[in-house]
Amino acid sequence: MYILHHAADFASSVVHFALEEMDLRFSLSIKDLDGGDLDTPAYGALNPLRLIPALEGPDGPIFETAAILLFLSDRHGKLAPAPQDPDRGAFLSWLLFTSNTLHPATMFLFYPHRAAGEAASDAARQVAHAQIVTRLGLINEMIAEKRPRWLSPDEPGVLGYYLGILVRWLSILPPDPFKVTADRLPALHAVLAAHETRPAALRVAEIDKLGATPFTNPKG
Amino acid sequence: MYVLHFAPDNASLVIRLVFEEAGLPYRTALVDSAARRADSDAYRAINPTGLIPALETPQGILFETGAILLWLADRHGFGPDEAEPARQTLLKWLFFVSNTVHADLRQLFYPLVYVPADAISGHYSLLSARLKRHFTLVDQAAAETPRIFAVGGVLAPYLACLMRWSVLYPEGQLPWFVLDDYPALAAMARTLEARPATQRLVHAEGLGPTPFTAPVHANAPQGGTAG
Repeated sequence: MYILHHAADFASSVVHFALEEMDLRFSLSIKDLDGGDLDTPAYGALNPLRLIPALEGPDGPIFETAAILLFLSDRHGKLAPAPQDPDRGAFLSWLLFTSNTLHPATMFLFYPHRAAGEAASDAARQVAHAQIVTRLGLINEMIAEKRPRWLSPDEPGVLGYYLGILVRWLSILPPDPFKVTADRLPALHAVLAAHETRPAALRVAEIDKLGATPFTNPKG
Repeated sequence: MYVLHFAPDNASLVIRLVFEEAGLPYRTALVDSAARRADSDAYRAINPTGLIPALETPQGILFETGAILLWLADRHGFGPDEAEPARQTLLKWLFFVSNTVHADLRQLFYPLVYVPADAISGHYSLLSARLKRHFTLVDQAAAETPRIFAVGGVLAPYLACLMRWSVLYPEGQLPWFVLDDYPALAAMARTLEARPATQRLVHAEGLGPTPFTAPVHANAPQGGTAG
């Protein structure tokens, strides 16, 4: 039994998709981010970073979206290549690339002032946008060329859900003309379209109110 | 046989420290900075992201420092495996170090990639304040779960290198990083620095005798520095 500390359509939704797709027993502990739910001592003990997601399980609390995805995949043998699988290295390379290169650039696009200051926000947003377009292009090329089964239209994977949420946000959150979709990235688009129509994904989309096509055609 | 694509005093140093400490056989292939600029297609055939390091293995090429560390840890048994309760402690801090500490340092070291020249000093203040908070959190974790941060695991060399570069870069700005502000990490860095494996790399990459506790700029016998 897991407890996911969650707010709909934040990074914890990625973990929500994974838990549902793995058919695990879990409950949601909904956090009011504006109401200070992450500032309590109890939450600090779960996640000293004071971010969501955090996941409580039999081994205690774990945080960081990609760490949780990898932990669940390894523990339950689902949705990613296992540690001894020949595909493990490629999967880890692209998971880390998504987590430490694409995801930070996405945050930088949404909140450029946090690192750049208010005055340089527009310039910083242009940099982040260009980086994101390049990086999603690399992922699209990799899928088209290698057809990996861990990021595929044919079977679900944690990285498909992770990229789905990032592309969702990129499609609706930035001001024009900085929105980014997967419309011109056909290999990635096919993976995301297959993920968002899975029964587990439809259940999560309904609970988190993400709409019918949350990755390929989200409604802002 | 592993082949590590490296540049002196670059993120590849983290992987080299793991290889040397574990006594694993590996070969290095220098990616010099001129080749990266002039002929990036050649290196991009190895690593499509163009970043250092990349590791050739019998099961294909890996890239991303954190990915290579985790793969090696699982393959050679350096860290808690997926059945151990401590596994999740390793994973959450490895990802935090990779996607928050390392990612913010990248911005701090190469500010002109991210902001116009007239915004650099504000960018520097904001990011260095953030990074101090990050290192404080990691230091608390290292004090609470020392096994995960011990020499012989994969977090120790990663953090030691990030702290080294935090002292050295970016050049021309007031220093912001003081190792002794983070006592658990400082103790780890002192232990790692004294290891024979580390001292072999001090020689190979020209890092100076105290690469983690009192770093100086590298003066590599091969290939020049890359930061």
